[in-house]
Amino acid sequence: MKALVIALVVIAIIVLAVGAWAVGIYNSLIGLEQGVNEKWAQVQNVYQRRADLIPNLVETVKGFAAQERNVLTEVTEARARATGVQLTPEALNDPKAMERFQAAQGQLSGALSRLLVVVERYPELKSNQNFLSLQSQLEGTENRIAVERRRFNEAVREYNTRLNLFPGTIVARLAGFRPKAFFEAAPDAATPPKVKF
Amino acid sequence: MLAAVVLALALIIPPAPSQRVNDYARLLPADAQRRLEERLAERERATSAQTVVAIFPSLEGESLEDFGVRLAERWRVGQKGLDNGVILLVFVKERRVRLEVGYGLEPVLPDAVAAQIIRETIGPRFREQRYAEGLEAAVDAIYARVETKGVPPAAPRHGFGVSPITLGVLALFGVIALILARDAVGGGRARRHAYTAGGRRGWDSPSVIVPPIFGNWSGRGGGDGGGFSAGGGSFGGGGASGEW
Repeated sequence: MKALVIALVVIAIIVLAVGAWAVGIYNSLIGLEQGVNEKWAQVQNVYQRRADLIPNLVETVKGFAAQERNVLTEVTEARARATGVQLTPEALNDPKAMERFQAAQGQLSGALSRLLVVVERYPELKSNQNFLSLQSQLEGTENRIAVERRRFNEAVREYNTRLNLFPGTIVARLAGFRPKAFFEAAPDAATPPKVKF
Repeated sequence: MLAAVVLALALIIPPAPSQRVNDYARLLPADAQRRLEERLAERERATSAQTVVAIFPSLEGESLEDFGVRLAERWRVGQKGLDNGVILLVFVKERRVRLEVGYGLEPVLPDAVAAQIIRETIGPRFREQRYAEGLEAAVDAIYARVETKGVPPAAPRHGFGVSPITLGVLALFGVIALILARDAVGGGRARRHAYTAGGRRGWDSPSVIVPPIFGNWSGRGGGDGGGFSAGGGSFGGGGASGEW
């Protein structure tokens, strides 16, 4: 009888300890996932910021270089496509969705850098105050994108590492946690457009 | 990623400084440095916005923007919560300048204004090798913006500190986790995402790749400008770069 009680107590202690351990892992993953989601929101914010700059930029360039219709249309269309692709935090587990987002933004980056190359041919435009201001805002935004993307990737790395640590990974997988996709820099987006003063 | 690590090794970020003017390139004469330090200290007392100057001999092949923001993450200039810090970086060999603007000052010092300060205030003076004058004029231009537009009130918190809200959310998650854990391990966690709040800025990444090698950073500081300490401001890559 006494032995039975001791055995039960021991089992109860073990169950409690394992439960506390599992809850600990669960909570830390929730916290890390929250961090990933917050950083993702920031990534989307800075991309939105870039998209918001573009209509004004296109208008300004049009004022000096209306004949560059092709590249202007390309930018406008790429912007429309890019703003159409948004990722909810749930979609961060889906590498395919992440690829779509990156491709859309990469196309816009490519179109923008082609626009900035064209601009080089218009000295008057290049010295226009409004254009200079837009250009520095665009550069600043590209830089913010790089910063937020790096912070997002760091958060994803931290989360994925915690998720894959054995033996906690068993609990985590059972509880439905999945690895998250990194934001790889597309070749087009890797170098922000450079301007000389 | 590996490339970034290798690059980071090329130019080591110095530890957070103990003065506002950090001339690692020995570009400024001692008296000019002291004057600049005093001016920065005085402006900081008047406005609470904190500006730090760092002059490096060379970028050593690093990306200016990347180095700038990693330095900002390490130095944490500005007050925590207000994020009202500005870092003015100068690279002598490459003749490049960067103004790194903290989150809290982005509304009063937008990128276009930062670029304008570099283009119109710093550039012409630096081209004539009037470095101290250029820096002083830049500092005046920065604080002119801060004063006219005022320091904005604290933005929604995104510092290191755990806010009551975060604690509350975590506690909530803890309770849910307990319920889920009780519901047997195979159970669904379908409701969980309903609680993830989007849109807030994340807390700052502490994982700056900085090897703990100090040496070499005997930046000549400019006297005592009235006690300097960088307080934990956050940066998000705002500001501008330029050349002279």
